[in-house]
Amino acid sequence: MNRRGDVAGAPGASRPYYVPVGSEENVFKAAFRKGLSVVLKGPTGCGKTRFVEAMAHDLGRPLITVACHDDLTTADLVGRFLLRGGETEWVDGPLTRAVRDGAICYLDEVVEARQDTTVVLHPLADHRRQLPIERLGITLDAAPGFCLVVSYNPGYQSILKDLKDSTRQRMVAIEFGFPPAAVEEEIVAREAGIERGQAAELVRLGQAIRRLETGGLREVASTRVLIAAGQLIAEGLDPREAARAAITGPLSDDAATTRGLVEMIDVYLADAEK
Amino acid sequence: MVRPENARAGVGTVRIVGTVEAVESVEAGKEVGDRLGRLRLLASAIAGCELRVAPAGPGEPAWTDGRAVFLDAETSVREQVEALVVQASLLAAGSLDLGVVRRLRRRSALARRYLAVEGHRALASLEDLLPRSLGSLVDRELAARSDSPAASLAAALGREAIPDPPLVFGAIRARALLASLRRAKRSATTRRQTPGEPRERILVEVGDEEDERGAAIDLFTVPGGAGGPLGRLLARLLRPVRRLGQGGAPGADAAMKWTRGGAGGDRSFAFTTGATGSVPGPAPEERGTTYPEWDVHGRRYREAWCTVHEVEPRSEEAEPFAASNGYGLRRPLARLGMGLDSCHRQAQGDDIDIDAAIEARVEAMAGTPPDDAVYLDSLRRRRDLSVLVLLDVSGSTGEASASRQTVHEQQRRVAAALTRVLHELGDRVALYAFHSRGRSAVQLAPVKRFDDDLDALVMRRLGGLAPAGYSRLGAAIRHGAAVLKDRGATSRRLLVVLSDGLAFDHGYEPEYGAADARRALAEARSEGVGCLCLGIGANTEADALRRVFGSAAHATLPGPEHLNRVVGPLFRAALRSAEVKRRGSP
Repeated sequence: MNRRGDVAGAPGASRPYYVPVGSEENVFKAAFRKGLSVVLKGPTGCGKTRFVEAMAHDLGRPLITVACHDDLTTADLVGRFLLRGGETEWVDGPLTRAVRDGAICYLDEVVEARQDTTVVLHPLADHRRQLPIERLGITLDAAPGFCLVVSYNPGYQSILKDLKDSTRQRMVAIEFGFPPAAVEEEIVAREAGIERGQAAELVRLGQAIRRLETGGLREVASTRVLIAAGQLIAEGLDPREAARAAITGPLSDDAATTRGLVEMIDVYLADAEK
Repeated sequence: MVRPENARAGVGTVRIVGTVEAVESVEAGKEVGDRLGRLRLLASAIAGCELRVAPAGPGEPAWTDGRAVFLDAETSVREQVEALVVQASLLAAGSLDLGVVRRLRRRSALARRYLAVEGHRALASLEDLLPRSLGSLVDRELAARSDSPAASLAAALGREAIPDPPLVFGAIRARALLASLRRAKRSATTRRQTPGEPRERILVEVGDEEDERGAAIDLFTVPGGAGGPLGRLLARLLRPVRRLGQGGAPGADAAMKWTRGGAGGDRSFAFTTGATGSVPGPAPEERGTTYPEWDVHGRRYREAWCTVHEVEPRSEEAEPFAASNGYGLRRPLARLGMGLDSCHRQAQGDDIDIDAAIEARVEAMAGTPPDDAVYLDSLRRRRDLSVLVLLDVSGSTGEASASRQTVHEQQRRVAAALTRVLHELGDRVALYAFHSRGRSAVQLAPVKRFDDDLDALVMRRLGGLAPAGYSRLGAAIRHGAAVLKDRGATSRRLLVVLSDGLAFDHGYEPEYGAADARRALAEARSEGVGCLCLGIGANTEADALRRVFGSAAHATLPGPEHLNRVVGPLFRAALRSAEVKRRGSP
């Protein structure tokens, strides 16, 4: 249970595919150089995680990702004592590892974590860049290259408040949205391995769904969902079939909405069949 | 996204407690309706706003009144889709703006010429969005003649030859569009109806006196308001309603039925309990509880201003409420409301349990297999929560929401699901329904008291609720908090308000009411009662809701099935806010 974080971004591997939309790469790199913490805001599936991977690659730092959940305790992040035989043994948590190694520590969906947990981030996120470890009685100074990145999805307004102001104000914010159509086409085509024209039809469908103002939808069709549909098409599935499986199903359980979406798919992906 | 009937946001809250005469008959062609109904999402996506699809008369060209697109059900699917896309594009591109449509009235030849140019322009302007298969609809040459609705109109007024629009372009029915706009305007200016007026009247109340953002009240000509609160409500008002036979109260006119005598007695549970049973107005005075009310204008409390009566809800003849499943609430709620217990001898945990570790070591040295459970963990184990659910049953909840069920119906489902799940989890839970008729008659009906069992009687009482009256939110909240404090008997207390957020009563204007409700919530929090406000299926604007619920945890959900994702964080936030206050003032 103490191996929650996974290390990615080994040097030498090719750069994770990420197309910048605005100045987000420059902002991130500037923040990194100045040792500032970063909060990434945006809807699900718009490329936040991929962005961090690309940045870790560019900056040559290892990346430690922690998916936050509502029972994540401070010990899960910082570390804890275990017993090995007759001895106690301290085991670093993912955050402590990142602080020691100077890695980029990415806390995905940080609002999910318990609030007492996020407080441990405060001394790390501001100018002190320190991690006090109460149980060991030490305070670690963050190694050069350490960078704290958190992400969250400001979906429901009232829950947005869940990220404390004291936490928010220690961070530099980068907002993410869905990329413009041309960029998204390129992304879908490349990630899914399908033709540009096919990708364009998927993107049109996605953009139309996004205009619905979530009328009965849990979330709008994200780039990730479109890529999944594209991947199914690349595997030889009929486009409509693929879109139903990858877009309709994940977006809604409601029968009426599903029928409406299927209708949209049939209209938007009409010619691909022939 | 300029649409003529989209009124500008920022005019406070509007509330409609009446119903418009139009009740659409839907028996005929149900299958056709289903088929066309499926196109609703497509239509809404292209128009960029809520748009229905309905069958037109056979052989009729497609047309729209801004709220619905009417298609000939007899034509092929492809033709229907094309016609739909054209009409939705016209709306999206602002082609049916009031200023333009007005000039097309009674000039059908001009309307045709205008449609021929503007249709192509609208399609071309939305080209990036439309299905590529429909690209052949656009005549680029024609589209290039115009770059705005005004330019198209000028072209149509000119002498140049313009080919007839293709058949799938349908028609522009200026009169229908204008008629719906006029009706909207008329309704918007109709002031609040006082009880006793004929009930066919539309009851609209516009909270224009509290225009906080200072936006101009320009209902129809200001572009860009893609669905302000007023616009949306007007839209709702004008949409032919289809409410009968859906199990709920038959339309919001239930709100009017409380007036005299027994005519409405079967709808409004509050009056069945009065000793006389026939006289509305102030209920018996003897056992009411009085509460103060916050006067935002005078910045003071009005002492003993409101009288709250607990009235037995009607249950004898009511059908038991068919409780649906728990909407997946059990899992998120199971972890809530429990005290953190430090648990010894756990197999894993944050710290080492020294006693257990030493024992284990001794055992190991003595040669017996040691117990590995030597950690301390903080677990939530203890149920320590009482919840009072306040259900708004004022007339405004009888309105149909986007999903065609009334707000009341959806709120009731959520109330039932919450009550049941919390009850099963072992929490103390109560359910009270409230509505009001002036400050001396705020009525709370205990559907389930804290000590009641969750039995068929409770479900019958719940089934017997019908929306009526108004909502004096502040008094209801104060009473709920008082009940929680007296009878909750746990250290964590939570008040859940299920309401459409339209605080309104006699002498309880929206701004005044919102301030009072906010105040009442703050009072409850300062006394250690967590508050959580949920709007289910209501079309209330987020802004309006924030004005009423202030900093209390709140959320608006399109339907009950969305609750399971937010209920955990919301409950936690509400409990936490009360906890801070409790600790702050011991």
